[in-house]
Amino acid sequence: MIAIQEPDPLQYLVQRPDVSERFAALKKRPVVLSVQHLYKEFECQTGAVTALKDVSFDVYRREFMCVIGPSGCGKSTLIRILAGLESSSDGQVLLDGNPVTGPGPDRGMVFQSYTLFPWLTVKQNVMFGPRMSGQRGTSAESEARQWIDLVGLSKFENSYPHHLSGGMKQRVAIARALANRPRILLMDEPFGALDAQTRSQMQSYLLQIWRNLDLTILFITHDLDEAAFLADRILVLKANPGEVNEIIEVPVPRPRTPSQFITPEFVATKYHIDQLIHPNHGGSEDTLPFPRMTPQGDDVE
Amino acid sequence: MKTDTKKAAVPREPWFAARRELSAKRAAVLTVFSFSLPLLIWCAVSYLPFLWHPDVELKISADREGVTTVYTPGDRVSEEFFPQFEEAVREQNRQVEPLMSLLKPVEAGSEASIRRANKKVLRHLASLLVENGWLTEEQTKDDAAIFAAWKEIATGARLPERPRLSHENLEIIRRNWAAMSAYSDVYDSDNFVSRPLLSLIPQGRPANPDYLPAPHEVLISGYKEFSKPAEAERPSMWQRVGHSMRIVFGGFLLAALVGVPIGVICGTYSFFSKLIEPFTDFFRYMPAPTFSTLLVVVFLANDAPKMALVFIGTIFQLVLVVANTTRRLDLPLLEAAQTLGANQLQLLTKVVIPGILPNLYNDLRILLGWAWTWLVIAELVGVKSGLTEFIETQGRWRNFDSVYPVIILIGLIGFFTDQILSFLRGIFFPWTSDGAAAASNPLAKGLLFVPRFFKGAANERLPYHPDSTSPKQA
Ligand SMILES: Nc1ncnc2c1ncn2[C@@H]1O[C@H](COP(=O)(O)OP(=O)(O)O)[C@@H](O)[C@H]1O
Ligand SMILES: [Mg+2]
Repeated sequence: MIAIQEPDPLQYLVQRPDVSERFAALKKRPVVLSVQHLYKEFECQTGAVTALKDVSFDVYRREFMCVIGPSGCGKSTLIRILAGLESSSDGQVLLDGNPVTGPGPDRGMVFQSYTLFPWLTVKQNVMFGPRMSGQRGTSAESEARQWIDLVGLSKFENSYPHHLSGGMKQRVAIARALANRPRILLMDEPFGALDAQTRSQMQSYLLQIWRNLDLTILFITHDLDEAAFLADRILVLKANPGEVNEIIEVPVPRPRTPSQFITPEFVATKYHIDQLIHPNHGGSEDTLPFPRMTPQGDDVE
Repeated sequence: MKTDTKKAAVPREPWFAARRELSAKRAAVLTVFSFSLPLLIWCAVSYLPFLWHPDVELKISADREGVTTVYTPGDRVSEEFFPQFEEAVREQNRQVEPLMSLLKPVEAGSEASIRRANKKVLRHLASLLVENGWLTEEQTKDDAAIFAAWKEIATGARLPERPRLSHENLEIIRRNWAAMSAYSDVYDSDNFVSRPLLSLIPQGRPANPDYLPAPHEVLISGYKEFSKPAEAERPSMWQRVGHSMRIVFGGFLLAALVGVPIGVICGTYSFFSKLIEPFTDFFRYMPAPTFSTLLVVVFLANDAPKMALVFIGTIFQLVLVVANTTRRLDLPLLEAAQTLGANQLQLLTKVVIPGILPNLYNDLRILLGWAWTWLVIAELVGVKSGLTEFIETQGRWRNFDSVYPVIILIGLIGFFTDQILSFLRGIFFPWTSDGAAAASNPLAKGLLFVPRFFKGAANERLPYHPDSTSPKQA
């Protein structure tokens, strides 16, 4: 895919003037979510496992932040603590300056697994949040329609989830989370189960939605392309224990298009994250001790 | 160029492929076999005389002197015993022969008792005559009519067909008739033969034991029993059915009413699960029937202790099953609801309950089947009642042809209740993907037009299936 010579390892730090201006403006915005010295330990039969260790970062209003890290580094644990579905062992999470104590409609969440309520139609799913807060009647319904329109599924508003494809289900899940008008949208590998084509489509959709709404997004992924394509900043986590490795400002200008995948900024960013996540990559290429089982001369490479 | 004209053989789907669905047609054929094979076996054993048939059903019987066991036509004796029985009667006849032919004088004063015995011999033919349609059921004690029939047979004017009389018996009839007609050509009770007559030699046909009546016998008795109207002390069969169903459904509904909320709470909150389930788990191992005497003391007579037995037999199982079903609800659904702002109560009423409903429905369906199995034991509690009382009494009289229709009916009620409920599931819960499976069940299909109509209406609301690639959805 990328067949160019190794980029300068520090090139990802070089920002075009308009890009650095954007970051300056971004950091002047109020902090929506502030994570301070977060620790999480799990009790196992084998003893305590430290999933998160001293994780601190801020997310600004209307920022798109991605969290990336090797599998098992605590990404899901982090986002579940932010959503209030899990308690932290130490440290605190502030939303607009107020500590988070449990789940609530001010933080929307989209899960990797499909979590639409199968007994509700698309429209009823989207209306679920407003209903829980006591909103009734036609206003809730017409509002729900708007959210469904926004994700392009108005034809399916009366369908049940099991009639929808995976991509459609996740779009409904986004609409359902947005219908609560959350302060921040938490997304835990929401496109992880989708095929490559649908996934890139969903990424474009998500950017469009994010651009047009007052929306702050914290997006977890293990896909380098996805992170570099979507994010303003990328939080890179280390594994065992999960610690903040680096917070990268993505130098790729906005608006983003898939054609930017081969620009030097993009390649440099990806290269750098790859170095962070797989430090000894390239040095000792993983080779299998595999004996030759084909006759001499019958080579494929 | 020469083209190959041989048709490419279409590979046939194998009949035996592990975990593969058979085609709808094959499945339907096998379903039909599933019911017709047992029926065929029953018919074969009943109607093919060379299969089994270890007994002989008597068509003609005779008393044996000095033997208290009396067989009447319709009784069954074993194949091994029958020849001994025949031989005993022949031996008896050999003793009578000299007296009959006046070679030996009868003892003085014994004429009256001989006459009585002879009238019995006369009636030996009665049931045979009824079976051949010569006499009606009421005429079995009409000696004049029987007498006339003896004459017809002896003179060869008419011979019974079902069964044909053996030559031995025809000969006996002629000799007896000769003796009888010497007194009077028509029946005269006062002027009846007072010399001993020969007994008819037992005749019969191969038969199965009475506990395996033939299908037609069961059908006929079933029809008779079910069309009998109610009498003062005897409820009609349909009243019994109603009574039995009231006990099962009543006990079950009570158990569901109490058990479902407990199960749901246990499945939702570990607190209640740990508090309630261990004891429930222990209690269910105490067989419900062991409580029957206790139940009678507590609930007194009538239906209450019976329903209580069904209740006890069902509820513990029900709580555990429902709790498990509740626990099987996808946890992320609950988490999603929480991030959408649902509070504890809403979580229970808006997520847990609607989420488990299709599975809960299925559980209750299966548990209703479980409750059915308590029927007989429940109806034996206190005063016997309902279908069980009928089965008990008829079974004691060995009227198994009347018992089977009732047993089969109980099975049918349970089976069809289950089929209907399983079919309705697809209509109640259109969002489940097995709604379609229920609709394709051939039994339910044939039985339920009305629900299918509603089902059609429900499907119309889902105009588009993006995931479905099969054309059968159209
Ligand atoms: N409920 C739990 N109990 C014990 N250990 C857990 C639990 N959840 C997660 N962990 C552990 O915490 C670590 C981080 O898990 P997770 O956050 O799911 O990783 P990621 O989402 O980055 O793949 C893993 O080592 C995992 O084994
Ligand atoms: Mg994860």
